[in-house]
Amino acid sequence: MSERQEEMVWHIFKKDWKLLWVFVITVASLHWISAFIIFKLGLFGESAMLEMLAEAVPMLSFFASMFLIAAIVHVEAIPGVRQDWLVRPIRRENLLLEKFLFVVLMVEGPIFAANLFQGLANGFSLRSTLLSATSYVIFLLFFLVLPLFAFASVTRNMTEAFIFGCGCTFILGVFLTLGDYVNGSAHGTLIAVTHSGVGWIGEVFRFALVAIAAAMILGLQYFRRRTATARFLVIAFGLLLLASQFLPWKSAFGIEQRLSPKPAAGARTVMRFDPARGKFKSPSGLVPSSENVQRHRGEDSAEVFLPLQVTGVRNDAILLTDRVEVQVIGQDRRIVYHGIGDSLEVARQGPNPAEEPVYQQIAVPMSVYHRAKDQAVEVRLNYSLTLFGLAGSYAIPALDGDERMPEWGWCQTKMNEAGTAVELHCMEPRKGPICGTAFIENASTGVRNPARSVCRSDYSPYGYHPLPDSLVRFGTNLPFRDPSGLAKFPVDGPQLPQSRIVIRVYEPEDHFTRALTIPEIKLKDWEAQ
Amino acid sequence: MIRVENLWKKFGRFDALHGLSFDVPDGSAFALIGANGAGKTTTIKILMNILEPTRGSATLLAVDSRKISPRELRQIGYVSENQDMPSRLTVEEYVAYLRPFYPTWDRDLEASIARQLRLPLERRIGDLSHGMRLKMALMCALPYRPKLLILDEPFSGLDPLVRDEFMEGLLEQAGEMTILISSHELGEIDGVATYVAFLDEGQLLFQESMSDLTGRFREVHVTLEIEAARPAQAPKEWLEMRALGNVLTFVDTRFDENGLSERIRARIEGVRGIDAEPMALRSIFTALARAARDGRT
Repeated sequence: MSERQEEMVWHIFKKDWKLLWVFVITVASLHWISAFIIFKLGLFGESAMLEMLAEAVPMLSFFASMFLIAAIVHVEAIPGVRQDWLVRPIRRENLLLEKFLFVVLMVEGPIFAANLFQGLANGFSLRSTLLSATSYVIFLLFFLVLPLFAFASVTRNMTEAFIFGCGCTFILGVFLTLGDYVNGSAHGTLIAVTHSGVGWIGEVFRFALVAIAAAMILGLQYFRRRTATARFLVIAFGLLLLASQFLPWKSAFGIEQRLSPKPAAGARTVMRFDPARGKFKSPSGLVPSSENVQRHRGEDSAEVFLPLQVTGVRNDAILLTDRVEVQVIGQDRRIVYHGIGDSLEVARQGPNPAEEPVYQQIAVPMSVYHRAKDQAVEVRLNYSLTLFGLAGSYAIPALDGDERMPEWGWCQTKMNEAGTAVELHCMEPRKGPICGTAFIENASTGVRNPARSVCRSDYSPYGYHPLPDSLVRFGTNLPFRDPSGLAKFPVDGPQLPQSRIVIRVYEPEDHFTRALTIPEIKLKDWEAQ
Repeated sequence: MIRVENLWKKFGRFDALHGLSFDVPDGSAFALIGANGAGKTTTIKILMNILEPTRGSATLLAVDSRKISPRELRQIGYVSENQDMPSRLTVEEYVAYLRPFYPTWDRDLEASIARQLRLPLERRIGDLSHGMRLKMALMCALPYRPKLLILDEPFSGLDPLVRDEFMEGLLEQAGEMTILISSHELGEIDGVATYVAFLDEGQLLFQESMSDLTGRFREVHVTLEIEAARPAQAPKEWLEMRALGNVLTFVDTRFDENGLSERIRARIEGVRGIDAEPMALRSIFTALARAARDGRT
């Protein structure tokens, strides 16, 4: 780009600033107010008023940013025949570049500043704060800025954008409802990637689609002014984005497998059907019915529990299922049920962990159950699994603790109002830990309470959440007293002053699959006892 | 300077232009005349590459209108009755914004036009009256001395005083520039246009120099010895024929002083006297428009 062109870009930029500075400052202020409210709220959020504001103001600032992006584009609207800029010797590439710069600096700039403030004010290092704020605005670029920039370019003004936006929202609603219905009819087998650990692959695919769509739409609009074609593309790409939720699981998990940090770590893991363990016994003892009716994905279902033996999970490791695909095959070799089983977690903690029984829970639709319960059926279970290994261990005083732990973040502890549990709340400027366990331990005796697992499936290499900011907040409650008196905890209230919370951080090591075929069982034999 | 060839424009099923063709000679002041909806604005928007033609081509400054680049736009001034300018900027701010886009922008000329048009530079564009906005559009179109000035209905809704100020401002700066002006008000182009084209329902009825046009049109009054009646076989070029008492009146569209008497006497008997009066532009266009409506052109 020549110096003259650069000058012209900034010249247009200054004109837009003159026109929009009030709007820009208002939206920026909303983001800064939002950051300040969230900062004041702290880790425990004890002020109800601030908590309410912390819900509303970020949302408001998010919407205000959307309107600001549209307003920036509409200063030189593309559709229409009356705009003065169309007859001026303005290079289209200069105009496009200026709009992009203005959006990035005036919409994302204040968001970036608000995130820097949040990170630094909460005591995180400049480096980690800069990294998280940068990755957050890059995420917003694909999640918010580019889609809206392209969308606004096919509309003439805010009214048109609003009407067209309402139309798109309606289509979105219809599509999601239909998608949900179709997925429900397929017992949850169709929409697999979204909201799973490999959801980020779908997200990256969508970001790529957004980038391609934005390039095509903005190119068409700014260089050719083909509004009708561009509008068609908005709808077409919108539908494609929605259709991306049907991304096949095998492909997505296959990518994740190739990205495993320690590809052979799960090689020794073996899963087999273990009928010797007997029927699943409900801990509450309240499952007497032979047809334990549950509502599952909008239909009545019977719960079947298949006993499994899982071996090869080493100590200080956690095995999580990302997805369990279940096929029940009848005597005529036809599939009578194809659905998704419940997730499993196998944790081996400590030097000599006791082997806990593992049951694969399957919600079989009642209609299928009635037809197949007395038949000898074959059950095929296809597991997509992730093995987590211990990456670090930290401790924080059980009461009024305040520690900063690498890989985990800044945490505080306090007793809850009821005096029954210790609240552990943490904050991290990056993606945050995805798996960890925490337990109360008496520091002098070494006695500990049962561990609480705070694992979530999210293997993304970056954090992606639009609201409220780039910081990740997480936590858990660790009970030490049962008000009903039924349960007794080894570490109870009086021991808390000399106790600590031990946090163990686990990182994914290997993603792998296991297939298990159970040749001949009767479903009715494996209901809960 | 401008060449339009077989230009078609469809909006849905509606044909706004039907194979329009005309030429605007260099240095001329070319008036595109027609009633509302005749296709004048559509033609101009196509010339400015604001609209794309369905078929045919429009060339200006030797470039296809679809390929007009900033290089050509630097040589074109455009004023339209409905031009959207940033309403929150002041006149001065907007003019300052436009200046760097035109390397030939003359600030002295800009100041002189602003004075002449009596524009309130400090006022926001959104607060300007319709007339003031048009004057401002003119002010933004002249200081870079464009080769081609395109005016789309520039007098629409202007009071006579403002219109005169606008015209004075325009004519003073016109110099060598080619002007294309569209209007449905004939009086407005009288004394300005050197060429004229008449559009009706997206079609060109004729294109002619103003001097030829006013020279070949006469309102002819033929006084007869007996009561006047329309001749059975009147020539095609005689329009709006009417008889009142012993006087027959018509518009001669092929006026030739030398042969007029012979042509009339060859068709009408008992001619006592012939009187041919020059016609005002408005009357010429009214006659033409009626003839077009009746399918006689």
